[in-house]
Amino acid sequence: MKNSLLIAIREFKERIGARSFISLSILGPLFVLGMIYLMFTYGGNSKQHWNVLIADHGNLLESKIMPGTSTAVTYSFYNGVITEADFADGKKYQNFDALLEVNEKVLTNKIGFVFYREEPDLKMQTRVQYHLERRLEEILIERFKKVSMTDYLKIKSPLTLRYANVYDPNEESSDLVGWAGLFFGVLIFAFIFLFGMTILRSVAKEKSNRIVEVLLASVSPRQLMLGKIVGIGFSAFLQFLFWIIIIAAGLYFMRENVFPDVLDASNMNLQQLVIDSAEQSYQESHFVAREYNQFVELVFERMQFANMLSFFVVFFILGYLFYGALFAAVGATTGSESDGQQFVLPLIFLLCFAMYAGYYALNYPESSLTTLFEYLPFTSPVVVMVKLAQGYDAGQGYQIYVSLIILLISAIIMLAIAGRLYKNGILQFGHRVRLKHIFKWLRKS
Amino acid sequence: MLEIKNISKSFYRKTALDDVSLSIRKGEIFGLLGPNGAGKTTLIRVINRIVEQDSGSVRLNGNLMTEKDLADIGYLPEERGLYKSMTVHNQVLFLGRLRGLSKKDTLAKMDFWFDKFSINDWRKKRIEELSKGMAQKVQFVCAVLNEPKLLILDEPFSGFDPINVELIKQELIEMRAAGKTIILSTHNMKSVEEICDRAALIHQAKKIAEGSISELQSAKKMGMYAVRFKGSMIAFVNALWTGFEVVDKDILGDDRFVVRVKMRGENSFQDLLKVLIGQIEIEAAWEVLPSMQDVFIDLVQPKEEVRDEK
Repeated sequence: MKNSLLIAIREFKERIGARSFISLSILGPLFVLGMIYLMFTYGGNSKQHWNVLIADHGNLLESKIMPGTSTAVTYSFYNGVITEADFADGKKYQNFDALLEVNEKVLTNKIGFVFYREEPDLKMQTRVQYHLERRLEEILIERFKKVSMTDYLKIKSPLTLRYANVYDPNEESSDLVGWAGLFFGVLIFAFIFLFGMTILRSVAKEKSNRIVEVLLASVSPRQLMLGKIVGIGFSAFLQFLFWIIIIAAGLYFMRENVFPDVLDASNMNLQQLVIDSAEQSYQESHFVAREYNQFVELVFERMQFANMLSFFVVFFILGYLFYGALFAAVGATTGSESDGQQFVLPLIFLLCFAMYAGYYALNYPESSLTTLFEYLPFTSPVVVMVKLAQGYDAGQGYQIYVSLIILLISAIIMLAIAGRLYKNGILQFGHRVRLKHIFKWLRKS
Repeated sequence: MLEIKNISKSFYRKTALDDVSLSIRKGEIFGLLGPNGAGKTTLIRVINRIVEQDSGSVRLNGNLMTEKDLADIGYLPEERGLYKSMTVHNQVLFLGRLRGLSKKDTLAKMDFWFDKFSINDWRKKRIEELSKGMAQKVQFVCAVLNEPKLLILDEPFSGFDPINVELIKQELIEMRAAGKTIILSTHNMKSVEEICDRAALIHQAKKIAEGSISELQSAKKMGMYAVRFKGSMIAFVNALWTGFEVVDKDILGDDRFVVRVKMRGENSFQDLLKVLIGQIEIEAAWEVLPSMQDVFIDLVQPKEEVRDEK
């Protein structure tokens, strides 16, 4: 075990001493941050103009909304009841992008409902909210001849608009978080592939420069393989840590400076609010601070980072051990470094298949094939990430642990198989690898 | 010290070692000889526990060898290499620690050997910056760093210039004097004659000869004698009759010669001396033993010819 540790330390030092390690540790996360920034800034592909139908059964608003509203929203009024189903499928409503339901209660509980066809960006959402809020304030002020403090607070209490997809009011398929899960899954596989290749190259290099025989006089092939996988794994983990720290710091910076929290009162400039409120341009300038799109909302509001990250780490480690052993075995069975490259191809196919499985899970989260992919050790790290982001239905959370146990057992089996291939293949030089060799090496103890 | 008994090893259909037994004594330099592909490297790998034998046993000081014993063995493989991007210092430190030495001990021994081989200036150099000979010195240091009781060297002289070959030879002789046991696998027969005490020859996976160098040479002696004398070469030749054959001669100058003579029929060394005394001034006379090169060729070649005829 001590020798494995020495091998691991040497591998670790060699990796972190390499220039590529340092550049990838810094440039990699900066690139991801850049992409996130671009998505935050330009990612919202929602409509820039909205046709909103207000179903005002009690004629509360008297077919009026806040005066001087921006041209981004056109309001139409209907003094009756429109059901969601009618709005979703009714021909005469197809020109409208959203249905805003208002009734007498809104004055007291300050809760309204909006059913949209296509999810609006946060800018549009806050815009509609703002317009309705101001109109409700007008109505309330008219009702109170003499405004008491309580009344004033009632007037000023914020309105909450609850948005829901008219076609899917219970939000059963939430794509965007799933995509984020897929991103995590792909990240796992990117790291596995990157560092798996490092293992393969390192093994092939030791074979080609013949130091392996010197090493094998002191350590067993299994110890050598394990030390190598662990050492390179730690360097992968360290790099991953760099990524997390840099991306987290970047997101924090963006939150504080570029995309502040609109719901946090401390981010509002009160003086500016007073000055601006006298002007017509108030709402637009106010909205600048609220220029959110769905990506900003996703990253800052909806992702459960703590949960995702802890499972990410566990699946990353086990997935890495599983695939790392496979890469080490391939490295040990090759006759030369270039020979190794051709055997990487099936591994790349396997990794691509895993990505596809993740994409499949995104589109068909409830299918039985997805459940199979979730348990299959080749695909589970990415599929579980997608499922985790989408959220498990009540009573199905156990699936993640089943998947984890299967992956753990598979990783142990894979390490044993790879150890055998490694032991029998590591001292074979200059041969052309054939499948029959591999089967023979597997059969030998 | 090392008892190898009935070792057999096959790689699929190819037999690499077939019932090989050897006995290596403490404090000797033992030559392991044989043509390429004979099975020497496999035997060395079995001793080092890199390859597991199919049958047979290896005993060190009477006990079956275990992984723990590897700490007492130094090994310089034929196919040797180092991590090219590592510095000499880090490389030796890493391999020393793998051999079970503490960091402190490794550093102390590194200082000793680097001083001895005058390679202190290379410490910070990467292996890829060294010449082949320099890298081989570093490899030798790595093999002896743990002061092994048993040192196994597979073709240690290949790639060395003559000066470094001498340096390594002297080192091995010193180590033998210090009671270390050394197994030397080589094709360099001259060095076998010079420094080996005993040797074994492996051919086509089998041991075909084992013994002290003189025993091996004696077994193949061809009835040849050398005479160093002063006088006339014509007188020397005239003195011989049909029972002797002059094989070759060296002229030493001042009417002094060394002549090698082969016996014919029942004639002995005594008969040779009898016919020469009185004709020339004999300075010395001795039996000429075949060189290890001749022994090697004699043992190996006939079998290959037979095989070729098949």
